[in-house]
Amino acid sequence: MSIEINDLCKRYGATQAVDSVTAKFGDDDQVVALIGPSGGGKSTLLRLLGGLEPPDSGSVVLDGASLPIEEEALRHFRMGNGFLFQSFNLFPHLKAIQNISLPLVKVHGWAADDAEARAREIAERFGLEEHLEKSPGQLSGGQQQRIALARAVAHRPGLLFLDEPTSALDPEMKAEVLDLIEELRLSGQRIVLSTHEMGFAKRSSDKVLFLSGGRCLEVGESSAVFGNPVSKELRDFLAKVMKW
Amino acid sequence: MKKFLSLSVSVILGVTFCFIVWVVAAHDYQWELIQPYWGNLFSGWLTTLGISVAALCLSVVIASVLTAGQLSEYRVPRLLSRVYVEFIRGTPLLAQILIGYYMIADSIGWDSRFGVGVVILSGFSGAYLAEIFRGGVESVSSSQWLSARAIGLTEGQTYRHIIIPQAVRRVLPASAGQFANLIKDSSLLFVISVHEFTMQAREVNANTYAAFEAYIPMIVGYLLLTFPISLLSRYLEKRFHYEH
Repeated sequence: MSIEINDLCKRYGATQAVDSVTAKFGDDDQVVALIGPSGGGKSTLLRLLGGLEPPDSGSVVLDGASLPIEEEALRHFRMGNGFLFQSFNLFPHLKAIQNISLPLVKVHGWAADDAEARAREIAERFGLEEHLEKSPGQLSGGQQQRIALARAVAHRPGLLFLDEPTSALDPEMKAEVLDLIEELRLSGQRIVLSTHEMGFAKRSSDKVLFLSGGRCLEVGESSAVFGNPVSKELRDFLAKVMKW
Repeated sequence: MKKFLSLSVSVILGVTFCFIVWVVAAHDYQWELIQPYWGNLFSGWLTTLGISVAALCLSVVIASVLTAGQLSEYRVPRLLSRVYVEFIRGTPLLAQILIGYYMIADSIGWDSRFGVGVVILSGFSGAYLAEIFRGGVESVSSSQWLSARAIGLTEGQTYRHIIIPQAVRRVLPASAGQFANLIKDSSLLFVISVHEFTMQAREVNANTYAAFEAYIPMIVGYLLLTFPISLLSRYLEKRFHYEH
């Protein structure tokens, strides 16, 4: 996957959420992790890259094509990718299986039968068969996040954006979800994620981008960023999160 | 203190109820007095039923248009809907009926009292329903919009498949209350001589001086119209229920 981020900025009111971020990732970088303190701009940067929000200035070039600005073109861009949120964001009025199949039918134009078959296939792979007929409110956090992940990958997205996928989960459920993400990685899925799971970021990502105060303070090979942090902010951050 | 309060409320309500039952039961009924007028009462009831059903349907249409106007991204429809809702909710229905019939309908040469009555009631009820609908739509969490955007649903699809199904359940109880109000409010149409249920009952009383015999059937008749709405609302609430 090639991603070029050029001088990207996004402001919310008085807060400069993303401040002149520039970074470049090549075709070999299958998994890119955004790390940094809470409120540092990870989620905002991920939303800008995922085409969920327009930047104030700057540009993003993905696989040689500029991220569009016009809404309809952006929607087509989003259709080709997948997005997972920290708080699952499943549709509470739909059963789990409908959460997975609705986008396939309404957005991607699949026949209802094909969509249901695909939903069952992916649910089986994710160990969710028995929960398909339940509504999200009847599922645990980990199960909800796995359904959300199934929804995000059911249409075989080019890029998968994961916004702190395990932050709202307890440790056992975290592991369930991280296992699945690892499985997706091994199957060749290209992933950009923001995460507080330093172990996962260190082991499974090719490149790491450290954001603090909206600025990109370090970016590089995962082993280099974790093994040899240059900035004081990253050293302090790693010392804190690795302490326990 | 709480016990004392609930006890006093029970006593007051109990005594009031007993008093009403005693007054109603102790009356020396002479049903034969209103015998010749059953037909009039029934035709009044049918008129009220007709007005209510027509106004209920039309008010939902008006409310939907007003809600769309209020939620519009453009300023003009937002402003127009707001002004309409504030004007209707800030003035008495009685004045609206009089102005609507004697000034507006008269100036365009429309003299169907039934038709004008339906339109005025719908316009009145539509303004209240619009506020209920708007509240319902706005109460759906913004994360649902974000999720729908991420999947690639269009704005129209998001309303249809995600927002409205969740909003409908939330607005059902308040809407049912508004529909019951609409039925009761239709009694004010007597001022433009629509021969609806209340007007017929008043005429029966005027002709026979049998107030109890004229008004007790009237109360029962209104309950026959409002109670099914309450039942239907409860049934639909259950049907649309989902776990959170």
